[in-house]
Amino acid sequence: MALSETEVARWSRQLLLPGMGEASQELLRGARVRVTGGGLATAPAIYYLAAAGVGTIWIEDSDPVTPGCGAGFALGPEDEGRAKGAALVEFGRWASGFLAADPYRAGSRPTALVVCGSSLDVSRAIADEARLLRLPHVVADVDGQGGAVTTVPVGSPCYSCGSRPGLGAAPTAEGGAAMGALAALELVLLLTGASTEPRARRIEVFRGTPLVRATARQAGCACAGPAAAGLAP
Amino acid sequence: MIPAVHLDLRAHACPITWVKARIALSRLAPGEVLELLLRDGEARENIPRSAEEEGHEVLRLAPAPEEGPGAWRAWLARGASGEVPSWP
Repeated sequence: MALSETEVARWSRQLLLPGMGEASQELLRGARVRVTGGGLATAPAIYYLAAAGVGTIWIEDSDPVTPGCGAGFALGPEDEGRAKGAALVEFGRWASGFLAADPYRAGSRPTALVVCGSSLDVSRAIADEARLLRLPHVVADVDGQGGAVTTVPVGSPCYSCGSRPGLGAAPTAEGGAAMGALAALELVLLLTGASTEPRARRIEVFRGTPLVRATARQAGCACAGPAAAGLAP
Repeated sequence: MIPAVHLDLRAHACPITWVKARIALSRLAPGEVLELLLRDGEARENIPRSAEEEGHEVLRLAPAPEEGPGAWRAWLARGASGEVPSWP
């Protein structure tokens, strides 16, 4: 369905960007993105996905809002004690009146995931689930004031193949904001095909300097099995 | 040559003028013509230039006094590729 007059007005600047157009914006509107993992990049990722015009976001975060939870970007002291997922749903709806934001419910069928894990193990487990479900996903790892974002199109080298240890610094809100925004941008490029750059890649940002590299499959990794070849049910 | 689509953009301002023209062009087949009614000034100067930068052809750009003071008419033919330039 073509964009409405209101939608054209809302996304007018983005519609002018190279590679973007009405078809790209319609793809974003039709996307159903599950944002999960409970990490510091969650709120910024939601904000930028909403601002880009993603139509549906399902948020999965059952932890309570605490002063140190890093959601200060989105939530205030009045939210402390609430379930962070529910509070972030309200934040998403505030960020864009065009967004349908809801808590993630088991059995829902997203078209893509943004994984903002609170630890590498959490990210790895969710990314593996996404790979087995054959869903494109982007993983945001916060490491100090930087971190890394790994983009995993369907059938490409998995998150475990593409990732490597970072500095291991304590995550900060600044790092969460940077990685969340970058993860949202990577997913937008993945969903719309607005870039000719290889999409299976990892962007590492340390001390403000980005390093971009294509990911490669590691020998013996499970992602090289039938699922990667599109043979799994 | 008969325009496939007519669009009156005189009530709109930048960047909506070019956004609407760009969307209308993207809905056409290569070679089909979009007729625009524009206000003199920003729209008349920028839309033909932006269209050419994206590979479309400006067939005609002329005053249209019969449409009111300051009105201009542009005919744009959609470019052959129809591709929206992508990010590098």
